[in-house]
Amino acid sequence: MTGSTAILASMAAHLLAAGGIAMPRIDYTAILPELILLGGMLVLVLVSSLSPRPLPTEAYATATVGIGIASLVASLVLWRDVSDHGPFTAVARAVNVDGFGVLFLVLVSCILVVAPLLAAGHLRREGVGGCEYYVLALISGSGAMFMATANDLVLIFLALEILSIPLYILAGFDHLRESSGEAAMKYFVLGAFSSAIFVYGIALTYGATGSTNLAQIAAFLARNVVTSDGVLLGGLALLLVGFAFKVAAVPFHMWTPDVYQGSPTPATGFMASMAKAGGFAALLRVFVTTFPTLRGTWQPAIWVIAVLTLVLGAVVALVQSDVKRMLAYSSINHAGFVLLGLQAATARGVAGSVFYLFTYSFLVLGSFAVVSAVGGKGDERHGLERYRGLGRRQPALAVTFAVLLLAQAGAPFTTGFFAKFYVVEAAVSAHSYALAAVAMGTAAVAAFFYLRLVFLMFSDVGRTIPTHEGAATGGTPTDTLEMPSAGGVATLVAAPVAALVEVAEPDPAIVAVSPWVAAGLVLCVATTLVFGVWPQPLVDFAHQATLII
Amino acid sequence: MGSLDSYLPIFVLFVLALAFAGLSIVASKLLAPQRPTSAKEAPYECGIVPANEPPQRFPVRFYLVAMIFVIFDIEVIFLFPWAVVYDQLGRFGLVEVIVFAAAAFFSLLYLVANGALDWGPVRRVRPVSSLQSRTTASTVRRVGTGSGEAA
Repeated sequence: MTGSTAILASMAAHLLAAGGIAMPRIDYTAILPELILLGGMLVLVLVSSLSPRPLPTEAYATATVGIGIASLVASLVLWRDVSDHGPFTAVARAVNVDGFGVLFLVLVSCILVVAPLLAAGHLRREGVGGCEYYVLALISGSGAMFMATANDLVLIFLALEILSIPLYILAGFDHLRESSGEAAMKYFVLGAFSSAIFVYGIALTYGATGSTNLAQIAAFLARNVVTSDGVLLGGLALLLVGFAFKVAAVPFHMWTPDVYQGSPTPATGFMASMAKAGGFAALLRVFVTTFPTLRGTWQPAIWVIAVLTLVLGAVVALVQSDVKRMLAYSSINHAGFVLLGLQAATARGVAGSVFYLFTYSFLVLGSFAVVSAVGGKGDERHGLERYRGLGRRQPALAVTFAVLLLAQAGAPFTTGFFAKFYVVEAAVSAHSYALAAVAMGTAAVAAFFYLRLVFLMFSDVGRTIPTHEGAATGGTPTDTLEMPSAGGVATLVAAPVAALVEVAEPDPAIVAVSPWVAAGLVLCVATTLVFGVWPQPLVDFAHQATLII
Repeated sequence: MGSLDSYLPIFVLFVLALAFAGLSIVASKLLAPQRPTSAKEAPYECGIVPANEPPQRFPVRFYLVAMIFVIFDIEVIFLFPWAVVYDQLGRFGLVEVIVFAAAAFFSLLYLVANGALDWGPVRRVRPVSSLQSRTTASTVRRVGTGSGEAA
């Protein structure tokens, strides 16, 4: 390694001889949310190293929630900056702080507030507590943030790696379970492969346009007509392949079911929300703002990928008997819906995609948290049969899951309905009628397997399992979850949490739900229902996601 | 082609490395006497005749040492070029390097806290309920049968 050090030193000396280094002026406020995450991560590592006794996992979860809230505040401050003074670029034009990017900063911060709550119960139960899970989540979140605000292909690639590498480790976090290691291995190998393809795409794009800066590429393509465009189109195709791998779009989805199934369940939820948020943010930005002149070329490709993703995700999910696998295929179907907005390539389409990602993140985090709880110790019991009669045993948990599943199916009065509505509307207004029809068809197919699970939970067939109704509910009626009518704010928050909490496992059929997980689930359900009934604030928010087209 | 001149040292180093590796292999083939016996070809195990196949999985702690190496290696790789152009980078460079070095140092602290430098008898970094105290026999048995790993 000393050889490479010598080379680097000699290169630095050459740089010096060539006439100095142009130092970029770094506007630290523009990347403050990312810095908060990384700084908080370092503090967590330091605290865990220096504390004489291992701290409980809940302490780290609390700290991570705090860091998430801090970055949420910083993101909102940036958002106000952008809406007051307009978008701006920073750090040698590598970071683009616009409405679109800031919206994703907010989304990633929200995920980092909810995800630690949902993971704490699992980590305690499996005895793998410690700062590592939270540290990796924070690093991954900072990568997703950089992806969303990156204005340079090189930064997008770096951010992609910062996003992905912690996810590979999280997939293998449950190191005593063989399937977890297998998932990590598969994810790592395929992810590294797709990153390599992505880099090659960057190289070809650079070769064709002479820049890696997104704005400069767009300007070059606007000014010039590339007559022999093989290199450019090759680069575009490879970039698309790299992104499609990350967001699990067909035909680059092969890793998804295995990795989602094998990973520790809260990590699956985190991975699904974070990788999709970061991946789609960069995908939308690169294709809609950088290559609008090539729209005629890439739109058909996206059309095909979207149709395949929608159909395969919905149809294959039908025949799954493992809930995690089913949700994995359903997440592929969701990716197809987000692609509708990209295919439209209009401001409305982008806003629809952003809205979809916002709602989807909470749904998928909450769903996998329920699956984690029901899976029980060992994180292994994920068969569909396990859910039979859950509504009798633990009504609050079952209602929570039902709400999240129905929202994923696109039921009215949930955010899922509006999410699907806006992307389909965008597709229709962009005259992609066939694609919109396919999307609605697959939504109907997908509704079947969501509803099947809901019916299974509330079916009475499984009477063989003894029921302990008093112990299961904690005495609170389940409808407090949906319609908290009277009482102060404290009751409003506390009652659903109390209804969900299950301290011990009095018999094998009843699963423990820690207060942390319950709180996280209440957050997920609350966003789903509140914005499902009253979506206007979130819609207005998503329409701030203006990319300069 | 003038811009490629700066790559000359890299090219020379590359050729030298290849030449050294190639020469070593060729010289060893040419000069060393080749008289293999079955004892020589057996796997080396501290001079003891191997009684059974080595287990597929055993506690290797060298990966932690490797991690420490990587930390210092990466740190040095960035410190050298920084030191060469220290004057140009000024205070900004100094602050950035301190931040970077602090991050690298924290990771070292983390490793040490997790027992990377504790040699001697194996101390479990964190209590793992499903594994009993590890002996040679239990390791071999556990790996051999695949059982005993489930909680």
